Amino acid sequence: MVRRIEKAAVIGSGIMGGGIAALLASAGIPTLLLDIVPFDLKDEEKNDPKARNRIVNAGFEATKKAKPALFMSKKDTDLVALGNLTDDFDKLKECDLIVEVVVENLKIKQDLFGRIEAIRKPNAIVSSNTSGLPLAKMAEGRSKEFKEHFLITHFFNPVRYMKLLELVPGPDTKKEVCDFIAEFGEKILGKGIVWAKDTPNFIGNRIGVQLICEAFKLLETENITVPEVDAMFGPAFGMPKTAVFALADLVGLDTIGHLAENSYELLAKDERRDVYQLPKFVKDMLAKKMFGNKTKDQGGFYKSEIDMATWKKIKKVLDPKTLEQKEFDKKNVPACVGKAKEAKTLADKQKAILFGDDNGSKFAWKLIASAAIYAANRVPEISDTIVGIDDAMRWGYAWEAGPFEMWDNIGLEASVKKMEAEGYKVPENIKKMLAGGNKTFYKIEKGKKFYFDFASNSYKEIVTSPNMIFLANIKADASKVVESNPSCSLIDIGDGVFNLEFHSKMNAINKDMVDFMGKAADYVYHNGVGLVIGNQAPGIPGAFSAGGDLAFMLGLAKAGKFADIDGFIKEVHKGIMGIRYAPIPVVAAPYGMTLGGGCEVCLACDKIVAHAELYMGLVEIGAGLVPGGCGMINLWRKFIETIPGPAKLTDFGGFFVPAFMNVAQAKVSMSAVQARENGFLGPKDRIVFNKDYIIGEAKKEVLKMLDEGYVAPKKKKIPVMGAEAHGMIWAEMFNMKNGGYITPHMETIAKKIAICMSGGDVKCGTEVDEEYLMTLEREAFVDLWKTENTQKMAEHIMTTGKPLMI
Amino acid sequence: MRDAYIVAAVRTPGCRRGKGAFAQTRPEDLIVTALQGVVQRAGVDKAAVEEVMMGCAFPEAEQGLNLGRIAPLMAGFPIDTTGAICNRFCASGLEAIAISAMRIMSGWCDVAIGSGCESMSIVPMGGNMPRPHPEWAKTKPDVYVSMGITAENVAKRYNITRDMMDEFGFHSQAKASAAQQNKDFTEIVPTPATTYSFKDGKWVKESKMQDFDDGVRATTVEGLGKLKPAFSSTGSVTAGNSSQTTDGAAATLLMSEEALKKYNVKPIAKFKMYAVAGCEPDEMGVGPAYAVPKLLKMAGLKVEDINLWELNEAFASQCIYAMQKLGIYDDKKYWSSDSASRIVNINGGAIALGHPLGCTGAKLAATLVNNMKKKNAKYGVESMCIGGGMGAAALFELV
Repeated sequence: MVRRIEKAAVIGSGIMGGGIAALLASAGIPTLLLDIVPFDLKDEEKNDPKARNRIVNAGFEATKKAKPALFMSKKDTDLVALGNLTDDFDKLKECDLIVEVVVENLKIKQDLFGRIEAIRKPNAIVSSNTSGLPLAKMAEGRSKEFKEHFLITHFFNPVRYMKLLELVPGPDTKKEVCDFIAEFGEKILGKGIVWAKDTPNFIGNRIGVQLICEAFKLLETENITVPEVDAMFGPAFGMPKTAVFALADLVGLDTIGHLAENSYELLAKDERRDVYQLPKFVKDMLAKKMFGNKTKDQGGFYKSEIDMATWKKIKKVLDPKTLEQKEFDKKNVPACVGKAKEAKTLADKQKAILFGDDNGSKFAWKLIASAAIYAANRVPEISDTIVGIDDAMRWGYAWEAGPFEMWDNIGLEASVKKMEAEGYKVPENIKKMLAGGNKTFYKIEKGKKFYFDFASNSYKEIVTSPNMIFLANIKADASKVVESNPSCSLIDIGDGVFNLEFHSKMNAINKDMVDFMGKAADYVYHNGVGLVIGNQAPGIPGAFSAGGDLAFMLGLAKAGKFADIDGFIKEVHKGIMGIRYAPIPVVAAPYGMTLGGGCEVCLACDKIVAHAELYMGLVEIGAGLVPGGCGMINLWRKFIETIPGPAKLTDFGGFFVPAFMNVAQAKVSMSAVQARENGFLGPKDRIVFNKDYIIGEAKKEVLKMLDEGYVAPKKKKIPVMGAEAHGMIWAEMFNMKNGGYITPHMETIAKKIAICMSGGDVKCGTEVDEEYLMTLEREAFVDLWKTENTQKMAEHIMTTGKPLMI
Repeated sequence: MRDAYIVAAVRTPGCRRGKGAFAQTRPEDLIVTALQGVVQRAGVDKAAVEEVMMGCAFPEAEQGLNLGRIAPLMAGFPIDTTGAICNRFCASGLEAIAISAMRIMSGWCDVAIGSGCESMSIVPMGGNMPRPHPEWAKTKPDVYVSMGITAENVAKRYNITRDMMDEFGFHSQAKASAAQQNKDFTEIVPTPATTYSFKDGKWVKESKMQDFDDGVRATTVEGLGKLKPAFSSTGSVTAGNSSQTTDGAAATLLMSEEALKKYNVKPIAKFKMYAVAGCEPDEMGVGPAYAVPKLLKMAGLKVEDINLWELNEAFASQCIYAMQKLGIYDDKKYWSSDSASRIVNINGGAIALGHPLGCTGAKLAATLVNNMKKKNAKYGVESMCIGGGMGAAALFELV
């Protein structure tokens, strides 16, 4: 039997159920979303289908309006059908996958699974998104056949953005079902799969809640404040800026309370069981309903208020001793935070936080020492390997490094010595590991990554899907890095395919990279078959390339060296068009922020293989500029190159206006599908849901193009709208100016964009040379740098990150 | 010169662009109903009509190919009934009536129709492919300026406040609403509205009769005051104090005295005179303030002599300005919904009933002559502003 998910169902339309339905629909799967009929229907509503679907309708509306968006495109909402568990239950028999996301109540879930068993089609997979209930209990009373197709699929909130998908099989779950769901989750939904066990709170929340509860305890006994802790355990430590206490506010203290209670009850043998008994101040907070973000009036650890006198937002923080929230100085952070911010690598940051000599570091060490030991003691209880725990924390809690990776970062041997000296009980598995001379949890050899396996007391390879290519692993073998400079490298990724990797700050395109592009293409021409342009910078969503190196050009402009800017842009054009016409296939693999110069590189490639989370746009106007890397030319080309030959293009405006608006309004897609809707991705370009796949998939595309017989694109004249566009745009700009919708310099830039994209002063429909368009673009670019306003705008966006509206 | 007599004047309902009853109805179908309606109401045979002049502001695409010739043929007029399109933007319908009237006055024909047709749902304002002249757009873009901006300019330059405009908008809606309840819109001919919908796995084309203007709504001054400006971030012109974009058609049948006798029909009014005046394009809304005095001077009449007014409410700002200039604004008795002696837009105007561009001139003529008859008003004046910077005005006299 070949298993397929042609139709799925999600039962429960809350924030998680709605999120899962939105993800399934975004992945192209028709999904039935069901919820209960309201209990409080009035007599006249009892036969009214609208009233009966009130709960699911409200849930779905909330899902559609969620911010950040849960759907990748508005159009995907059509794939979700709504219904209620009374009238529409029969429809579940058409579904290949049924995901239960109802209230965390065992009896309710058991009853529901009983009803599903009676109706589900043979072989359909049924899963629960419970975050804590035991699988064994949920499956009680069900048939063997049901149990063979039943497992836990635990998503994290917000579903679209959090990569973690914990899978928990039962003793009867078929291997075939497990394998299928793991592949479906990874390939179709783009998730990172972690196999968990039927233990309370599984992996992510077990480790995460222990850390939070440990922090609660320490907050009571140590001389430290809430914002001090959060300053240390935010980005300074490679954790999200919600850190510890703001995360508790975000999740909700009531939820944390439930999870802790659940842990205390069920984890009789846990060596840190006591930590799950919440300290008095937390219990008091719960009693006062200070749950955090969801109880805005009470607040939680933090509370935002508006000062009625000034209308300014003020942020207050909890004093656990008095339960009062008071204003605080955000800049007052422990000394170790300053040192961490100066550090370049994550390892140095984490060392700075843990091994400083200030009060903050003392707290940090106590918290992390206990958390690291706790994690080590959880293998094999909650996960067979350390990899599962690290993956869960990276993907589910957005830590840059999981507990064991962190331990490697700070030095395992030294930190264990420190623990022992301070009387911590170091786990036996760690002692045994060190005794065998194994000083790191991970190592990379010959392009492969290994982890230390406690069970066999030896290193084992981390086996991932063959679709995944990890540049860091390959680069560990220096011979695979064939060319390199501080901003980028050319890496041999096998089969004659090379990867051009950016690694500058935010991967902004600079002179090093521009110079390198030509060289890279040349190297591959002589030594290989094709090129992938991809990188794997950390972060959610991360930046494929956040733009161009403004500082360099601003420096030139301020020194009046406009000829140098002109020369630089000529080089940029050479580099970009070199990529476009290289006699080898070039495939870009963008993800996350792909803005300005980063976007222009992609537009020049033969093909784009994009991650589904793609925030792509030509945003140069915000910096006072027009795109300078042929972005306007290649975008316009993409807009019109797919028009079939016999179709005569009469209304150039219908194509020109949206293309122009993309650039003049600096439109950025909020997903790859939207980038396609905006015209940045063409019909040949692909969208891939799993971020770890994109370089591998791009490589496959290179090889496929070669296999099919690759011929480089030939230079063709491009038909442009010419002066007819100017009449339209100038007239509209006049309206916008009169309406106060555009500032004078922005208007100047927008008009330059119109000139460049319409091909200047020619008749509508004229076919012009690319070189001519490149000249227009270069002239516009240099002219703008000559203006004081552009220099001001560039400087402003560099220092504040926001466009200056002048 | 001979006299040109109006025998009948009708209009279709005005329905909202995009969302209204006619959004999927072809413009030809609207004008066909108006043409058939006007001859039927006049009680004359179609074959009597020698010429159909038709106003349309965007005579292209579905409204192209000389709708003025095609529509009468579709309406069952004989091949001898000739036809043409004329365009003076928002005065097109009135221009068409004037041309037909002139043809009769000069003795070139005896029976003619002046009409107007605009489906703003189907051919958008500005047309499908607006192409301002590049150099002219760079040096003198105000000829292409958005009508909303011209309304803002009028408000700013002549101190027409937001409160005044919202109040005016409210009264327009209130008058229209009362007129609907009182069944005062006797000039309307019920018109088939086409819809395409997906039913039971098939797309079906259906038709239903529409007999009322579907943009009329209950409003309050406070409610209108909450609307955001539509054309300028700092402006005062809103969707609530501007005309609605609308689909509709209208037709007026005119005859010479000889023809009245020949066909034995009674006229309602005479089409007396027509004047057009120019003004600055970027404040085109002031047009009526120039066109009406020009008209009255020609006729040797004073403002006080006019018993009924139809002043197109393109925007409250420009309409108020014109009324101020004519001296019929400051005293609300002339126009407010609660005044029994009101004489301006007595059943509401385009803010409530819509402004189907090229149809409006013919639409307002139908409303005006029918009201003149009902109110036994001797003189009626219709006027409107025109994009590009003009105003048009026409004088009607009850027979």
